[in-house]
Amino acid sequence: MVSVINTVDTSHEDMIHDAQMDYYGTRLATCSSDRSVKIFDVKNGGQILVADLRGHEGPVWQVAWAHPMYGNILASCSYDRKVIIWKEENNSWEKMYEYTGHDSSVNSVCWGPYDFGLILACGSSDGAISLLTFSGDQQWEIKKINNAHTIGCNAVSWAPAVVPGSLIDQPSGQKPNYIKRFVSGGCDNLVKLWKEEDGQWKEDQKLEAHSDWVRDVGWAPSIGLPSSTIASCSQDGRVFIWTCDDPSGNTWTAKLLHKFSDVVWHVSWSITGNILAVSGGDNKVTLWKESADGQWACISDINKGQGAVSNEQ
Amino acid sequence: MKLKEVNRTAIQSWSPAQHHPVYLAAGTSAQQLDASFSTTASLEIFELDLAEPSLDMKLRGAYSSSHRYHKLAWGPHGMDAQGLPSGVLIAGGENGDVILYDPAKIIAGDSDVVIAQNVKHSGPVRALDVNSFQTNLVASGGNESEIYIWDLNNFGSPMTPGPKTQPLEDISCVAWNRQVQHILASASPSGRASIWDLRKNDLIIKVSDHSNRMHCSGLEWNPEVATQLVLASEDDRMPVIQMWDLRFSTSPLKVLENHTRGVLAIAWSVADPELLLSCGKDNRILCWNPNTAEVLYELPTSTQWCFDIQWCPRNPAVLSAAAFDGHISVYSIMGGSSQAVSQTQADTVGSQSFGNMDPFGMGQTLPPLQLPQAPAGHAALSPLKKPPKWLRRPVGASFAFGGKLVSLENTKLSPEQPQQPVARVVHISQVVTETAFLERSAQLQATLAAGGFADFCQKKIGAAQNEFEKTVWAFLKVNFENDARGKYLELLGYKKEELAAKSDSIGKPSLVCQEPAVPVDAEVVASLPEGPLDPAPAPEGIDLTVSQDVDGLITQALLTGNFEGAVELCLHDNRMADSIILAIAGGAELLKKTQQKYFTMTHSKITKLISAVVTEDWRDVLQTCELQNWKEALAAVMTYAHSEEFSSLCDLLGCRLEAAEDERLQTRASLCYICSGNVEKLVSCWTGAQDGHCPLSLQDLMEKVVVLRRAVDQSRASGPSAVGHLLGEKMSQYASLLASQGNLTTAIAYLPHDTEGLLLRLLHRVVVIGVFVCTMRSVCVLQVRSASTVTSWSNQTPTALPSAPPLGPAVTEPQVPTHWPSLWLWPHSHTSVSYSYPPASQYQADAGGPSIYSPLQYSAPPPPSFCSSPEAPAPGFMPQYTQQPLYPPPFTGQPASSAPLSQTPFSPASATSFSPLSSGASFQHGGPGSPASYMPPPPPAGSSGTRPETASHQVPASQRTGPHWLRPQNGWNDPPNLTRDSKKKKVPENYTPPAPITAPIFSPLGAGDPQAQQPHSMPPQAMAPDQTQIQTPYQGMQQQMAPPIFNPGLPKTRGGSVEGAPGAPIGEVIQSMQSIPAEKITKKPIPAEHLVLKNTFEGLIQKCLAAATDPQTKRKLDDAHKRLEALYDKLREQTLSPAIVGGLHNIVQCIDSRSYMESLNIHTHIVSSSNFSETSAFMPVLKVVLTQANKLGV
Repeated sequence: MVSVINTVDTSHEDMIHDAQMDYYGTRLATCSSDRSVKIFDVKNGGQILVADLRGHEGPVWQVAWAHPMYGNILASCSYDRKVIIWKEENNSWEKMYEYTGHDSSVNSVCWGPYDFGLILACGSSDGAISLLTFSGDQQWEIKKINNAHTIGCNAVSWAPAVVPGSLIDQPSGQKPNYIKRFVSGGCDNLVKLWKEEDGQWKEDQKLEAHSDWVRDVGWAPSIGLPSSTIASCSQDGRVFIWTCDDPSGNTWTAKLLHKFSDVVWHVSWSITGNILAVSGGDNKVTLWKESADGQWACISDINKGQGAVSNEQ
Repeated sequence: MKLKEVNRTAIQSWSPAQHHPVYLAAGTSAQQLDASFSTTASLEIFELDLAEPSLDMKLRGAYSSSHRYHKLAWGPHGMDAQGLPSGVLIAGGENGDVILYDPAKIIAGDSDVVIAQNVKHSGPVRALDVNSFQTNLVASGGNESEIYIWDLNNFGSPMTPGPKTQPLEDISCVAWNRQVQHILASASPSGRASIWDLRKNDLIIKVSDHSNRMHCSGLEWNPEVATQLVLASEDDRMPVIQMWDLRFSTSPLKVLENHTRGVLAIAWSVADPELLLSCGKDNRILCWNPNTAEVLYELPTSTQWCFDIQWCPRNPAVLSAAAFDGHISVYSIMGGSSQAVSQTQADTVGSQSFGNMDPFGMGQTLPPLQLPQAPAGHAALSPLKKPPKWLRRPVGASFAFGGKLVSLENTKLSPEQPQQPVARVVHISQVVTETAFLERSAQLQATLAAGGFADFCQKKIGAAQNEFEKTVWAFLKVNFENDARGKYLELLGYKKEELAAKSDSIGKPSLVCQEPAVPVDAEVVASLPEGPLDPAPAPEGIDLTVSQDVDGLITQALLTGNFEGAVELCLHDNRMADSIILAIAGGAELLKKTQQKYFTMTHSKITKLISAVVTEDWRDVLQTCELQNWKEALAAVMTYAHSEEFSSLCDLLGCRLEAAEDERLQTRASLCYICSGNVEKLVSCWTGAQDGHCPLSLQDLMEKVVVLRRAVDQSRASGPSAVGHLLGEKMSQYASLLASQGNLTTAIAYLPHDTEGLLLRLLHRVVVIGVFVCTMRSVCVLQVRSASTVTSWSNQTPTALPSAPPLGPAVTEPQVPTHWPSLWLWPHSHTSVSYSYPPASQYQADAGGPSIYSPLQYSAPPPPSFCSSPEAPAPGFMPQYTQQPLYPPPFTGQPASSAPLSQTPFSPASATSFSPLSSGASFQHGGPGSPASYMPPPPPAGSSGTRPETASHQVPASQRTGPHWLRPQNGWNDPPNLTRDSKKKKVPENYTPPAPITAPIFSPLGAGDPQAQQPHSMPPQAMAPDQTQIQTPYQGMQQQMAPPIFNPGLPKTRGGSVEGAPGAPIGEVIQSMQSIPAEKITKKPIPAEHLVLKNTFEGLIQKCLAAATDPQTKRKLDDAHKRLEALYDKLREQTLSPAIVGGLHNIVQCIDSRSYMESLNIHTHIVSSSNFSETSAFMPVLKVVLTQANKLGV
């Protein structure tokens, strides 16, 4: 059962492009072609405008909440080629950092798992992906992967923090040696995996299956299994689920979730990683779940936030 | 940004949008010659591979043609039917040919690539267009006003759209309308455009301005608005693009002026109708918004004219431009730096490279036609001023914590009414996928809240899918019934009555009476292997000769009083009965010896059993019995085992069963564990057999576990029932599942103490949500208790603390972002002993009574929860975490006096030493050691000024049931809805009296008051070594997440009462706290004037006890008896308000007159008019007593 528990009238003056809840699900950030980013307090079914953030000079495509251990931090990216990192200090939201290192629209921002520190990946239409790492004292260290996706990167999504080779926590006191990885999708129809090695970002995998722009990618949250799962969706209407059971992370297999008749814009994993929300053209949102035999089935068709859930189990 | 380049002077066409991969067809242009003056022509197909960083386009196929081309058009016709997998490439030749090529064949290298060819036009075919609705229809335009409509399915006979226009003129462009499929437009260099209606087969309108200087080089329909088209003028005197609307066809709607010389080609983006490309003789390529006539973008182009420009139909950001300098260039409209390309393309990009190319295979290099092309700009290029439509994501549903889904709603704007206001809303939805699971979970919670476990089990028995499930539930149910062992026996198939009847028929009634199970058990024992175990002494016979008369010798021995010798003789002579009888006479020792000898000598099948019965050594039997007879073995244990070893014996059998190879037997182990109350083993046994990942099977398990734990709580006052690793895992699985379904309040009750990082994260999340659920009611609390806890979480996340005032400097200072790793220890490491504790000195200073605020107590998790407000949703399941940010340690409010965290008096060492207490002892649900661990933290009142206020916000004691996450089994018992009534009802349910329900059978282990006997049996320090490592992080979290609550009444009310039974909803915290310093503090006497209260209440309880018949009521009364200590303590301390004391005296008067109803009324009045925190510890208990008294009519 999918039922609306709150409808927030954002009062944006143009199209909304993204809406994200914070870590706790109590605040909502929205962004719009009206160049603004808004933050609403939505707890208890309310909707209190907390902040109306102005600073972008073009449509704002995406917003992303940082893990709250770093404070209340929101990143936004815009067509104006800028990434702005906003921070709430003393109950007011201020620009914490503005990144202008891209030459074209920045289409996607995604914070890494908190284990990696405060690190933001940004994908741009200039084809590059930037990685901004907070190094303290208001300093951000920038790394840039140029030409990651020809004519544009549309989406970035981080891999959950997994210690290589072991699911057991590292001995205490020792900083776990996480491998930082993320996935990106772009206008070259490719899904690419990136991995940091010796401080350098390298292309780890190139996943080919889509026949048109990859609109979004989503790395599924870890559910404690050594396997990795990525969802990708495309202009070609296809959604693929990529899985890798190989601990070295080199063998990825694609499974077609579905071929939609329209462009698929967005994929989002549930926090537990077992349900995938797919947003397609005409605001069609569907929920998908993997059955015990590994087949993906649509369990819900959501219209205006409402829908039934078919449970086949 | 330039993406690709082909060194051809050619006209071009992109493959249709449906086609993947993207191809670009280039045909030798009829109007340009290269340096060879060759008239040979070719048709080539290149692939646009953006994954390849090189500027080169891969040549996929080439066809050497006899024609040179004026126009190419690539249509998708035939792609669906598979006949033409790459569609049809239509070419307009210089001699009037319209030629159809099969691009798939060109790519395949096939020589026969021409599908059809028709020379219908009298001159060059300059214009071609494929109908986008009926892709088999192609329009062509040539000289002499010739326009033909070709049906690719019937290529031989083209139609005309109508009579030729007069005067005859060349047709430079044709274009199908993009909205209305039977409308066609044509334009000629003379500047006139004609609109044809194919249905009418006639010209319907002519479009022309009056300047007569338009020289049409391009014609495009608006992709969205059916009546709009643009015309481009090649005339240098009028280098404009006119936008016409046929509804006002007298003059152009807009004129796009920016080119300085004539416009050679235009292209209107289908992907975004606000993008129109034009290229002109001024060497510029512009991108317009035709609606605003604004130039959005100017491509960095070569210094040569472009004579053709086209959007890539499939990739909306890509366009191609063919220039007279011999290049077809592919650009991205998205701007971006070409530096990236040049980095990887150092060899191929740059002015030098072009000159060295030999594009035509002539073996010689050509100098650049003009100036070397400027290096693809290193300067960043601005993107389009207007964001292209294809980037404007209109949808996006994203999951959020707690199974929420956030989705956008952008109502589509119709292009005609862009001004219409649109509601831009975001829906937040709750996604519930496991409805059945949630329903069952709710049932379970309801049962927990309301009691009625027996009914619950009964229902489960009724609904059980299989026999085994039924059995399991039957076993569980027994826990809630009297005479548990007897019932177990019945379940195992041994009914005493039946046995008696059977025995009667055998004719040995006396035997049956004594040992009812024996006859049947014989079967068990039949299978017992002959164990070599008994370490029986070798018979040391008296040296007797065989020839001697045995009877005589016995007689002799007896006569001499030598029983031992006589018995020996009897045994020797195999006179068993005689020997036993003699042995009885000879005393206990001899009897025992004799029994032993008897067992060594006798090897009957039932010997073992008899031996076990007599020697009470069941371990041996259980260890060796045939597993198929587990039922019988279990029955024997039921009947004979001492209660202290009952559990371990059941476990022993369970272990053996589990280890069995037979799967059926393995599952039977769970029955043993149910009998023994070993939850952890049950879980491991169950998970071995079931797939715990399926939500419903997890629910199956949790139901059993919850019920069993509950039973254990009830039946065993002591005894370890720690949350083991496996159970913890299952509970967290369960909790995260609940959370993912949005049921956070229940989830929180199941989040056990655990050291796993992920779980802690979930816990934290759930907790914060919980906070918000209750925030509205707690604002006042917030205001009193300013700021937040020590944690960076709440300090840095005002989200979590929306109304929290700014922090004091002393606290915030160490929490600047650079400090977060250390401040956020718990997920990182398991050894966060260095966790910043609130300065203990504060507590001591402010709250007084240092003995109370010992570190020991401090280690206890904070008890209360503001959620206790009666209307709070399911507060019983909300542990103290819920209050976390709301009850910040007060020291934050007084930065001036608070020591920096680093100087907190709690040294890491001390933290380590006591921190395990709470975590370790926390599992002692109801155990005697638990009171200490449940001890609430010291009053955190930061300043004396806050104390009264906090006191007034004192939450009902029922809420302060201690950390639920530590004692989930108790949390479960808490009523979900904390109205006072429910709490009162809960009292008997929640308080688990020490007497086991199986008391009649069990020996009185822990009978009486085990808690009183061993309140400190588990010194916290003793547990430190093994617990510290894993527990401390958790401890740290407790500290950070659950700041303590000040209970003003506590310091003074430390009675000796030790009913710290967790799960007791009322006042247990207070009581448990009292229990700690009990040894140091002697109680004051109750003031004489109030002694009557105590006497009356106790007298009433005694009366009730005497009248009560069922054990449950007795338990309740026993419980009440103890719990009223709280009242007496308050009386001793004289902390009760006069109104309450007066009310109590009124109640006593009513009791004296046996008008219990009246007393209940007074009770209600007191409760409703008094401060709940003041009375919550005893008033509900009192109500129980009064109600019982009324019921029993004593």
